[in-house]
Amino acid sequence: MIRPRGRMLNTVCSVAHHHFNPSSSLVLPTTTTRSLSLGQPLLQAAKQPPAVVPDNRVELFIDDKRVLCEPGTTVLQAAAMVGVEIPRFCYHDRLSIAGNCRMCLVEVEKSVKPVASCAMPVMKGMRVKTNSVATRKAREGVMEFLLMNHPLDCPICDQAGECDLQDQSMMFGNDRSRFTDIKFEGKRAVEDKNIGPLVKTIMTRCIHCTRCIRFASEVAGVDDLGTTGRGGDMQVGTYVEKLFASELSGNVIDLCPVGALTSKPYAFTARPWEIRKCETVDVMDALGSNIVVNTRGGEVMRVLPRPNEDVNEEWISDKTRFAYDGLKRQRLTLPMLKNAQGVLEPVDWEAALTGIAAKVSRVEGREIAALVGGLCDVESLVVLKDLLNRLGCETLCTEEAFPMNAAGTDVRSNYLLNTKITGVEEADLVILIGTNIRFEAPVLNARIRKAYLHNNLRVAVVGKKTDLHYEYDHVGDTIQALEQLANGEHKLSKDLAKAKKPMIIVGSSSLQDADGAAILANAIVLADKLKSGSSSGSSDHDWKVLNVLHRHAGQVGALDVGYTPGAGKIKELKPRVLYMLGADAGVVTRKDLAADAFVIYQGHHGDAGAEIADAVLPGAAYTEKSATYVNTEGRAQRANVAVTPPGMAREDWKILRALSEFIPGASLPYEKLEDVRHRMADIAPHLLRYGAVEEANYFKQSHALVHGSKRPSHSGRALAPPQTVLEDFYMTDSISRASRTMAKCIQAARHHKTTKYSVS
Amino acid sequence: MSLVDKLGNLIRAVKQNGGLFKSIRTFYFTDDLKWGTHVGTDKYGNRYFENNYYFMGRNRWVLFNDAFRLEYDGSQIPPEWHQWMHYTTDKTPIERPPVQHRWMVQHEENKTGSSKDTYYPYSTTRTKIESWMPKNLR
Amino acid sequence: MSVKNQQHTQRSKEFSFDGFIGFVDRILIGQLKMLASIARMVIGKAAPALTRPITTTSSVLSSHIFVHRDTPQNNPDIPFDFSGENLKRVDAILAMFPEEHKKAAIIPLLDLAQRQHGWLPISAMHKVAEIVDSPRMRVYEVATFYTMFNRQPMGKHHIQVCTTTPCMLCGAEGVREHIKTKLGIKVGETTPDKMFTLSEVECLGACVNAPMIQVDDDFYEDLSLKDVDEILDAFKAGKRPKPGPRNGRTCSEPLTGLTSLTEEPKGPGFGLQAGL
Repeated sequence: MIRPRGRMLNTVCSVAHHHFNPSSSLVLPTTTTRSLSLGQPLLQAAKQPPAVVPDNRVELFIDDKRVLCEPGTTVLQAAAMVGVEIPRFCYHDRLSIAGNCRMCLVEVEKSVKPVASCAMPVMKGMRVKTNSVATRKAREGVMEFLLMNHPLDCPICDQAGECDLQDQSMMFGNDRSRFTDIKFEGKRAVEDKNIGPLVKTIMTRCIHCTRCIRFASEVAGVDDLGTTGRGGDMQVGTYVEKLFASELSGNVIDLCPVGALTSKPYAFTARPWEIRKCETVDVMDALGSNIVVNTRGGEVMRVLPRPNEDVNEEWISDKTRFAYDGLKRQRLTLPMLKNAQGVLEPVDWEAALTGIAAKVSRVEGREIAALVGGLCDVESLVVLKDLLNRLGCETLCTEEAFPMNAAGTDVRSNYLLNTKITGVEEADLVILIGTNIRFEAPVLNARIRKAYLHNNLRVAVVGKKTDLHYEYDHVGDTIQALEQLANGEHKLSKDLAKAKKPMIIVGSSSLQDADGAAILANAIVLADKLKSGSSSGSSDHDWKVLNVLHRHAGQVGALDVGYTPGAGKIKELKPRVLYMLGADAGVVTRKDLAADAFVIYQGHHGDAGAEIADAVLPGAAYTEKSATYVNTEGRAQRANVAVTPPGMAREDWKILRALSEFIPGASLPYEKLEDVRHRMADIAPHLLRYGAVEEANYFKQSHALVHGSKRPSHSGRALAPPQTVLEDFYMTDSISRASRTMAKCIQAARHHKTTKYSVS
Repeated sequence: MSLVDKLGNLIRAVKQNGGLFKSIRTFYFTDDLKWGTHVGTDKYGNRYFENNYYFMGRNRWVLFNDAFRLEYDGSQIPPEWHQWMHYTTDKTPIERPPVQHRWMVQHEENKTGSSKDTYYPYSTTRTKIESWMPKNLR
Repeated sequence: MSVKNQQHTQRSKEFSFDGFIGFVDRILIGQLKMLASIARMVIGKAAPALTRPITTTSSVLSSHIFVHRDTPQNNPDIPFDFSGENLKRVDAILAMFPEEHKKAAIIPLLDLAQRQHGWLPISAMHKVAEIVDSPRMRVYEVATFYTMFNRQPMGKHHIQVCTTTPCMLCGAEGVREHIKTKLGIKVGETTPDKMFTLSEVECLGACVNAPMIQVDDDFYEDLSLKDVDEILDAFKAGKRPKPGPRNGRTCSEPLTGLTSLTEEPKGPGFGLQAGL
């Protein structure tokens, strides 16, 4: 099977060649690929002992500073190594090189013309002058050309204050223009494109850097953006009116160096200089993307990505970026308690806690159960567990299930993404089992696509066929196909067994029902098979094969502190008191409880949980508390307080601590957040090692348990992840379900399917 | 003015107010004790007096309905009497009844400062945070 | 800060120098300028004063927009397929390129589609994208970049008048105006009988035979207005006039006979030193 690799990249290069300055032909495909990997040196290369590599580095001088760098590095990158910043618009670390904005022109000694440093590979003995008269003149000239057609509408432009063009024209531009043509012709005007409810376009501002086009085709894998026309009439757009149907579309807003692409929900709401920034982590998926929450006046105005090479590079999904308006709707702001008529009514904290304590103390500990949702932080999970354990309750479950046969969740290696997110860049084979990774972890999918383009990564999929934005071998739809693969009977088995660094990613969405045990067991068998096959050839004996991709940010944390996955135990127990901590998936209904059961819901949104509750305690969302989240790799990360919880809402651990005071004999000893964190460290020290991944162990032992027991039977159903098309992506938790922007996205995605241009 | 005149006025005022005790009561409520012609009573039971013996500005006054006790307020005077009280006209509404137009609304006193029915201004803009309400309160 | 200051002082020096030159300029050229301004006033064209000595030509924008809008004639619901004969050509074109570089066939295939259909509808672009297995946007990019791809309905014959400098000097503008009045259309328009579409193009590379027009694939060169009439009438009558120069030349040789290279070519060794 011939698989056209690097298809997109070639296209972009050819486009650049067609449309732009001839010197873009300097960009060789090798340089393109290299430069991408140079930004983040692949782990493989980094791990090689330096003595083996002959020093073939090139020596050059930038502003008379000596630089040694790998051949193939561009002048601009070499300059960055010695801290010389060269202005640029089209160049971006994580995208291929276009070389079309010409802002990075520098003078190179003995070169006749100024050189576009972003596209010029380093050469031996080069002497680059980044601040000479010629360089400055070239920059001023380029800037003059750019501003010739760029509207001077900064006062009404959302990008103003964080605009590359604005900043660079201040730094490197001239203070006046020789183009007085505006008196006759006016500036170029380009009609705005409608590319969906997230990205607002003001195309007149576009300076044709093509970053968005390259992002769309290289990272997002949606070849919908391009340049149409030529010369002065060239415009960036989709040619036909269509939705930019990508789950990563918001990133083009950050990439755009001017105000041509801005955020539609954020439009005209705030200015960068009046905004407070809070560095925190995201909870919309289990990756824990690093984000900056921008707030003004106690209101979340927008969410931006924060670069973290190990997690999200610098991309975030549209749900992460745009679901923040869900934090302002459907919020629980007052404690509520059912009155004598059985109707919820707002009460004050004391009345609520007294009422709850009265109900809780009336029943025995073993008749109490707790159910936690996917957005819970570790602090509140620990405090809840301590509180209920004191009362004698041992039924603490998460809504998300996980097969408990063999080692279950007792061994951490069973439920983590063991190779880590960066492992994708080392791997040569990824087998996706029962996961639509594009929607369950869009940023991870972007990394797989990156490895697919640049590292010859091979991808195989067991489960329903969906568009993942890269080509893959489809093993089969059903569990049988997985079983065949695990037994080495599948027609692809031999082929896949050749992999040196295979990765298996099992989606937790497929492990939710009774067949989960069989799926996981088969995945483990397959993992061991691939591992034994690969370790003979691979030097890396520590390579971990089995990975589980979770969907919820709080799940790994809950399993780490000892919660039972799945609500099965609750359904067996039929508890008389159910404490729901952010449980909004609707896994447990009134029917699963005792007839006179008292349901307490603590959380931040009025959703499925609050609907069935007898008492509602308003908690804090992820932007409102200092909290620990463990992502699917097992990486503990801390969320920080960006805004205060609304109304009477309080941080979740504090609510539980206060409640413990009202229940006789259950008072918890935590006075400060530090006390809770000490307790967390007692349970699992890695919970406080923020940013670091605590690697799992005991693979052999846990896998031995699987091999030892009979493989669980299964129904042979098809592995169909719940999210298959774009509209399934946007609403998955209580925050995104409350978001209007997400609702608009779903509407747009549905409409897109009905249009004539839905095919790209 | 002689002391005799003053004393005469006082006696007349006391007499008109219905005796010593009632006069003390009036003085307690209004901080004043006057005598004059009772020119009329409005629909709320407020009585209006005139005595040009007093100088301009004090020669027309109102004794509010006793039911108001200390809770009386200038806005309890209806507009037709208001114009006589403020010398917009010298004809009382009894001498010249006001024209009743269809579009005229009933006079209403200013409730500001009273314990209930006070007008409180409110914002019509959307709140930053929209709270969830249980079904019965929605 | 220091760099900034330095820049600033340097710039101001330059400006003062410029200013000096400008001063001299004004004294010398002032009188001429005055004459010119009087002339302008007489002609009656009030030109806005330029503050700097740079002029630009008015930008002639493309006659076609670079976005697609669905019209009854041009929308993706109208099916397009290559005819049986052309499908063979498609195969032949694809055979020229290696499998992984199929995209190189975009231009020839678009051209083929345009020849088949007369112009290039969006369905044809979609078809080409499908054949070369490329995103549609990449085909749109190519089709909008090249002005020879006509993305709007065209007349049966496409008249392209070259008005670049050599042709213009030889009267191309007269040719253009003549065609306009004869056909009763403006540049970029199609005659009501869908016979001709007129467009004005840049240099077609026949400068020696200026003025010239291209009708469909053929060049008609060395035109007089009478020739233009003849050519258009012939096309109207359904005939195809003979392409080439109309003033008796066969090619681009001088009209009055050769002025050089009139003798036999010299043999090898001509003009060399005897010693060599």
